[in-house]
Amino acid sequence: MKTFEEKWTAWLDGQLSRRELSEFEASLPDKAAAQAEKAEAKKLGELLKRELSAHPLTNEEFFSHQLRERIVQESREPAGVGIRRSWWTIPRLLWAGAASLAVFLIFTFAVMHEQNPAEESQYLTQILNARVDPVVSPNATVSIFEVKQDRVTVLWTEGLQSLPADYAAK
Amino acid sequence: MQTEATLAQSDVSELDLVKRCQAGDTEGFDELVTRYRTRVFGMIYNMVHSEQDAWDLAQDSFLKAWKSIGRFRGQSSFYTWIYRIVMNVTIDWLRKKQIKGGGAEFDDTIQLTQIDPASKTVPKTEPLPHQAMERDEIRARIEKAIAELSPEQRAVILMKEIDDMQYHEIAEALGCSIGTVMSRLFYARKKLQNLLRDVYENV
Repeated sequence: MKTFEEKWTAWLDGQLSRRELSEFEASLPDKAAAQAEKAEAKKLGELLKRELSAHPLTNEEFFSHQLRERIVQESREPAGVGIRRSWWTIPRLLWAGAASLAVFLIFTFAVMHEQNPAEESQYLTQILNARVDPVVSPNATVSIFEVKQDRVTVLWTEGLQSLPADYAAK
Repeated sequence: MQTEATLAQSDVSELDLVKRCQAGDTEGFDELVTRYRTRVFGMIYNMVHSEQDAWDLAQDSFLKAWKSIGRFRGQSSFYTWIYRIVMNVTIDWLRKKQIKGGGAEFDDTIQLTQIDPASKTVPKTEPLPHQAMERDEIRARIEKAIAELSPEQRAVILMKEIDDMQYHEIAEALGCSIGTVMSRLFYARKKLQNLLRDVYENV
């Protein structure tokens, strides 16, 4: 099914069949106006043909010479020159990718390994508490250790000048 | 227009030339270029309105044709085939130019500076100065009007009105349907009629 634009164009160019022509012309609301427009389109075509068809190519031989030169130049260049110009060939890209992945894995492993202590402490808690009365022993520290394996708790005191009497009672 | 006999004759030799080109014979291609360079250049010039650009685009089109001549199967005429390349190259160029230049394409000053003083453009019978001026004005009006069409509409109207190509040949050259060609032709004519009515009514 042709659109109106297609039918109109075919009508202007005399490309409608006899049946299409009679159908199309019967469908036109104003046949006189359509004929006037057809005449205008013809004038436009003649104007374009007269004014635009004779633009000369000056220096025709030079045109062909230049083209020959370009063809020779193109044929001298190897077919894959565009690809070879780039350093990033596909094998190189693959190798670079694999190397980058390996370096990443090595660094990741090293960093994670560093975060874990070299030897795990035998103590569950190294310092559980440190509390001394500063009036009695200003430089004293008291630490409590709990050894996991032996299930022993050690009380460690340093700089304790005297043990208050009331401590013993407790 | 060519008669059927001459058309058939030229088709045979044209196919022969194409086969030579496909075998790598640059002289055969040179012969094809000689046959079509003026028409190709003229068509591109009417689309881009600049001698220098038309020259470069015609060169690029022929070079592209040489590179892809191996793919030409002879299903259409060489002329239609080369026109398809020409249209692709030119329409691409126009689209890029429109994007870069914000739509403005036609420039009188470029035209005047690009005239080669040594070129053989002087007509054999010189028109009177006022006639030449009038003609230049008309031509400038037409080029300006054509510049307002889309690249596809330009291609269609020029192939139809200047080269007398059939709808199916235009469709083949532009890689679209015949209906699209007719529709583009409809709108291109309407627009040019509005823009150039006073010109063709008074000439």
